[in-house]
Amino acid sequence: MDAIITDTSEQNSFLIRCKDLSVHYRQPNGHFTRVLSNLSLEIRQGENLVIIGPNGAGKTTLLKIIGLLISPTNGNIWFREKLLEKINARERLQIRRKIAFVHQKPVVLNTTVKKNLAYPLLIRRFPKKKIQQKVSQMLKLLELSKFINHPARKLSGGEMQRVAIGMSLIYEPELILFDESMANLDPSNQHLIEGLMQNLLNDQSKTLLITTHDPMEAIKFGDRIAVLNQGKIIQIDKPERIFLEPNDAFTAQFVGYENIFEGFGVIDSDTGINNIKINDITIAASKAREGKVKVCIRPESIVISHYRPKEISFRNILKGNIMKCNDLGIVFHVFVSVSTDVFLVSITRNAWNTLQLSLGEPVFISFKATDVQIL
Amino acid sequence: MEILPVSIKMNPILVGFSEAFNLLFSFDEEIWSIIFLSFQVSGIATLISVIFALPLGSYMGLQEFRWKKTISTIINTCMGFPTVVLGLIVFLLLSKSGPLGNLALLYSPVAMIIAQILLTFPIILGTTKAAVESVSSSVKELLLSLGSTRFQLWKSLLLESRKSTISGVIMAFGRAISEVGAVMIVGGNIRWYTRTFTTAIIMQTRMGDFGMAIALGMILLLLTFIINIFLTHLQTEEA
Repeated sequence: MDAIITDTSEQNSFLIRCKDLSVHYRQPNGHFTRVLSNLSLEIRQGENLVIIGPNGAGKTTLLKIIGLLISPTNGNIWFREKLLEKINARERLQIRRKIAFVHQKPVVLNTTVKKNLAYPLLIRRFPKKKIQQKVSQMLKLLELSKFINHPARKLSGGEMQRVAIGMSLIYEPELILFDESMANLDPSNQHLIEGLMQNLLNDQSKTLLITTHDPMEAIKFGDRIAVLNQGKIIQIDKPERIFLEPNDAFTAQFVGYENIFEGFGVIDSDTGINNIKINDITIAASKAREGKVKVCIRPESIVISHYRPKEISFRNILKGNIMKCNDLGIVFHVFVSVSTDVFLVSITRNAWNTLQLSLGEPVFISFKATDVQIL
Repeated sequence: MEILPVSIKMNPILVGFSEAFNLLFSFDEEIWSIIFLSFQVSGIATLISVIFALPLGSYMGLQEFRWKKTISTIINTCMGFPTVVLGLIVFLLLSKSGPLGNLALLYSPVAMIIAQILLTFPIILGTTKAAVESVSSSVKELLLSLGSTRFQLWKSLLLESRKSTISGVIMAFGRAISEVGAVMIVGGNIRWYTRTFTTAIIMQTRMGDFGMAIALGMILLLLTFIINIFLTHLQTEEA
């Protein structure tokens, strides 16, 4: 049964298909800037795809191309089966009217909240009664009813972003593009907008494309995550795979693997044990490759203890000294030096309190072979 | 006994002021015809300019096209065009031997309106263009992404920039009504026909008839004051 379900989801028809998108332009000083290079991407009908990447990776540019706000220098885009290059202005408008774009910074029109929300319906020639009904519904949803006749530009940033999101949702678009729309929001606004998002995420008729530089947000919202760096998609996969099996050092670092080491893989064909030599230490990994490798271990996967742990599930037990501790509120980051290397271990405040660690103290760090990720 | 000559000396100006109030509040027919004509000429000229310059200016602000920079420079030059030279150009066009001479429009309110259209058109065009251009690109993108057609986008941008655009129109009207060079040359300051605030003030001052000049001057000043209240209000609200 499961197999059938995954099978159909794999075959799910795509909503947007981008092939070999490139964007480059010449700057006034003559430099050639590449924003996107040969990027291909398929967005399936109804899925929630998160594009994650650092600032300047090309996230916004990609989103604007998909939102038909700018054209790529090269490459093709299909909306369903329509190749966008070949359609006329009328069809283009029809497609654009099915897409919504929410900016990073809130953008609203210089008029009242009510008129802002009514605008997308007005230009679609909705009947007056319907507009009124939809606007008041949306106002309630956004908890902005008391600001109905307030000038939208005079609202606070969070309230303004709520209006902007309301404008984008009121005409029930099929594809919604969120360009880091959750950044710069205070917790109460964030909570409210996340509530709205939750409905959208579950709605199979709506396809969401969200950009962010926050890995936690990516896990929260994404059915799939695409890692974008320097105009290229480095990895696109289910969130757990991105986090557990990053295929690239950039991805690993970006999604929070702080323990990245360069080592040398040795596979013992007799015992089947995979060892990786990192400087003076050797660790065991469940999978490995011969020769030069990069490995990473998530800080949460490492356990810290005063005595050598008894559990046999830990294949790797190393002895080190506490070097530094950072109090991050809910968690503590403990840096443990093992020989010439430093491991970052993330422990909860509770664990911190029971362990009573002090600087320079000898400790054991242990982690499973399966938690060693080979890049 | 020494005081008398002084009071006699002061007389013309004082008399001028009292006469001015008299003229204004007795609703002197001539003074009100001058006021009416001035408003009519400048009002019609500004209105016609608005009808043409507003769509054109917003289009130019929205669209990229060839020679845009050059054309913008020309418009900016025209915004500061000396009105006397404008008057001269219109005079040459409308004079008997000019290309439009057979229309016999010289020394008529129509000629004055034409001159003032040439004055106000570039001002409204330039300010509208700049106003639409100054609407941030993210608002343009918002309007597009919400599904605006080209026409709806244009209309909304004009609405977004309404404050600067209205300022431009008021400024153009202010320039037109206080302008003297062009209306003097092409209107000819004919009594009951083409005499405006400014041409009347010049003539009455030269004739030493301060009453009428002061009365008209006060109205013109009041008008400028009101226009500036409007402008300041618009600009402070913007900030």
